[in-house]
Amino acid sequence: MSLRVPKNIDAVFAPQSVAVVGATRTRGTVPHDIFQNILDGGFQGVTYPVSPRSPSISGVKAYKYVVDIPDEVDLAIIVFPSSVCHLALEQCGQKGVKAAIIISAGFREVGPAGVDRERQAQEIAAKHGINLIGPNCLGAINTDPSVSLNASFARKMPAEGSIAFLSQSGALCTAVLDYARGKHIGFSKFISFGNKADINEIDLLHYLAADKATKVILIYLEEITDGRGLLEAAQTVIRETGKPILAIKSGRTHAGASAAASHTGSLAGSDDVCDAIFRQAGILRCRTIEEMFNKATALAYQPWPRSDRVAIVTNAGGPGVMATDACVENGLSLARFSEETRSVLKDRLPRTANLNNPVDVIGDARSDRYATALGAVLKDADTAGAMVILTPQSMTDIDAIADEIVRTAAANPDKPVLASFMGEADVRTGIDILQRNHIPHYILPESMASAFAAAREVERLGAVTREPVARFEDVDPVRARQVLSQAGDQGYLPEAQAFQVLEAYGLPVLGTDVAATADEAAAAAARAGFPAVMKVNSPDVVHKLDVGGVMLDIATGEEAHAAFESIVAAVGKAHPEARVDGVTVRRMIPAGQEVILGCRRDPVFGPVIMFGLGGSFVEVFRDVSFRAAPVDEHAVHTMVREVQSFPLLSGARGRAPCDVAAVETCIKRLAQLAVDLPEVAELDMNPVIVQEDGEGAFVADARILVSEPAAAS
Amino acid sequence: MMDRNEVQTRVKQAIARVLGAEESEIQDTSNFVFDLGADSQQSVELVAAFEEEFDIEMDEDEALAVQSVGDAVNFIAGHLESAGR
Repeated sequence: MSLRVPKNIDAVFAPQSVAVVGATRTRGTVPHDIFQNILDGGFQGVTYPVSPRSPSISGVKAYKYVVDIPDEVDLAIIVFPSSVCHLALEQCGQKGVKAAIIISAGFREVGPAGVDRERQAQEIAAKHGINLIGPNCLGAINTDPSVSLNASFARKMPAEGSIAFLSQSGALCTAVLDYARGKHIGFSKFISFGNKADINEIDLLHYLAADKATKVILIYLEEITDGRGLLEAAQTVIRETGKPILAIKSGRTHAGASAAASHTGSLAGSDDVCDAIFRQAGILRCRTIEEMFNKATALAYQPWPRSDRVAIVTNAGGPGVMATDACVENGLSLARFSEETRSVLKDRLPRTANLNNPVDVIGDARSDRYATALGAVLKDADTAGAMVILTPQSMTDIDAIADEIVRTAAANPDKPVLASFMGEADVRTGIDILQRNHIPHYILPESMASAFAAAREVERLGAVTREPVARFEDVDPVRARQVLSQAGDQGYLPEAQAFQVLEAYGLPVLGTDVAATADEAAAAAARAGFPAVMKVNSPDVVHKLDVGGVMLDIATGEEAHAAFESIVAAVGKAHPEARVDGVTVRRMIPAGQEVILGCRRDPVFGPVIMFGLGGSFVEVFRDVSFRAAPVDEHAVHTMVREVQSFPLLSGARGRAPCDVAAVETCIKRLAQLAVDLPEVAELDMNPVIVQEDGEGAFVADARILVSEPAAAS
Repeated sequence: MMDRNEVQTRVKQAIARVLGAEESEIQDTSNFVFDLGADSQQSVELVAAFEEEFDIEMDEDEALAVQSVGDAVNFIAGHLESAGR
């Protein structure tokens, strides 16, 4: 396995010995409770309290300093106030401690003084090679019985399980632990990494990928500092282990979108980009904790469905219909039963039962009817998995039905079974039985369908290969840089120069002349060929059409002359302060489908490519997709097809299909440009006019914002 | 005017009273929290004890920012000197 595990995170999760540095005797405080939790959690290694004042903590001999401990210490949990954590950490370094968790708050999150303390901690950790978690975190938990470590101030040790949870928020962790306990959900590893001064979610992802006890990885993030690293780590983990990753990302990434500097800049809002890139990475983004665990339990406890065909068994028609609707909305379909399955159902169910899908075993159904129906539908070859719904009628033997579901699911181990016992009070004990036996349970059929669909999506994506896009060799980054260095003080390149940059990367631009006078414009139009198009050449005018800066369908030299005068006058009136370098003139591109392509250097994710429905109203329709560059073939393929307006390209309502391959090539070249030229802050190609299939695509307008002067090579 | 040695002796006596520590454990370089185990409540009590011992009033935030015994001695000695004592 080619997974990278650069940090010694084993020392965090599986230490042989732990020192709690700064432990106290005061119950109900973090410095006491963390030490007590390690003892209560049944830690299989050796635990040392370090306390400047107390000879013992909870009956265990204490040492004044960590360096006084006679034995090796693998992991130090530092619970001193932040003002002295550096002293503790330095001693840990002298002791040869391999890893440390700084629980204490009072670092980066409190302001400049805290930033300094955190930097100091980072330096000390780096000096001594200490793998550092935190500061400002809850701690870490490992439920493996051979370790059984609760090095946190969470109330109780969670049950052992196969789900790992990483969180940037310590307080959320305690809520999640309690929530999970109520649903009998166990964890393999549980960690709050706080300010991530050293070890971050990327390191932990790589570690958990190699962790045999972990089948599903859940992450809660507030801040992403290395978006590209996260994307690559997630892709590596998913590709090499198949372990699903589910994430909640709250808050906003660093600001970055410049206001209306370009279409791409204004459309690439940070959360939209985050959404798209999580999808690109294969991360399932969840909006709520409930959604996250709904999906995680389906992924961790049941096999993944091999098709989207669901069988529904219900004792109530209404919820059965609701479940059907939810399945369809989530991209699933209902299994079509064979005659053999229908025959079994007909033989054993009442005449009033519905033998089609959903199978309605009728309101007075007891456990035998559920067992029959569920067993029959699971054996049907068209069924990929089953969803079971129960509503509590007076004769419904809820617990017995739960037992039968558990038994029948175990007898059909290759197909997932999910359940929804609708209600709260009477169904409680039945739900308990399901959850204890790892049958994922959902209050509502809609959540159940969503979870089933997520498992199906993970299964389907597992088969997708992500071939990298081959580099184009016919590009000229030196030439591109020379042109970029000509950007003015504001950093914008006008169209003529922007076209030169695009041309250096093989993007399809038509030859363009620049004309400073009306006579030059007329001559240029004649050379380009009629009809011609003329546009104002100015780095300061973004929306040329809006200010009369574009003239189309110029048929003669006289029209070209007049067009020049008109453009200069119109722009001069609308933007008297704008620098106008004459006009650009080129042959007019034949009509086609207008799309937009752009890129933007996102402060978190690096170069981000945008594609979508183009033209002047791109910001109105906002029908765009994003991917982080560099891209792979799958990313290019999906980003073109996921926009709502894709049928306009593929051929809708009798229209001929457009040259989608040409669009995909443009995306690949643009992605390479974005990676090769970090000085390109924003780039718009709008519109790119796509001709019919086989006829290519042409850039009709372009604008580039350069972030810093590029040295001409 | 009180000399530094006397200030130091009386500071250590006050610390020993508040923290229940042996005076022999209290060095000039001792950090109140890391070496002597003062918690947040005791830190406030130490400030009160110093104020009472030396009959002075100190700015609480400034006083609480003092981290070691030696720094406390210097802080109080400086305070006394400013007051001409």
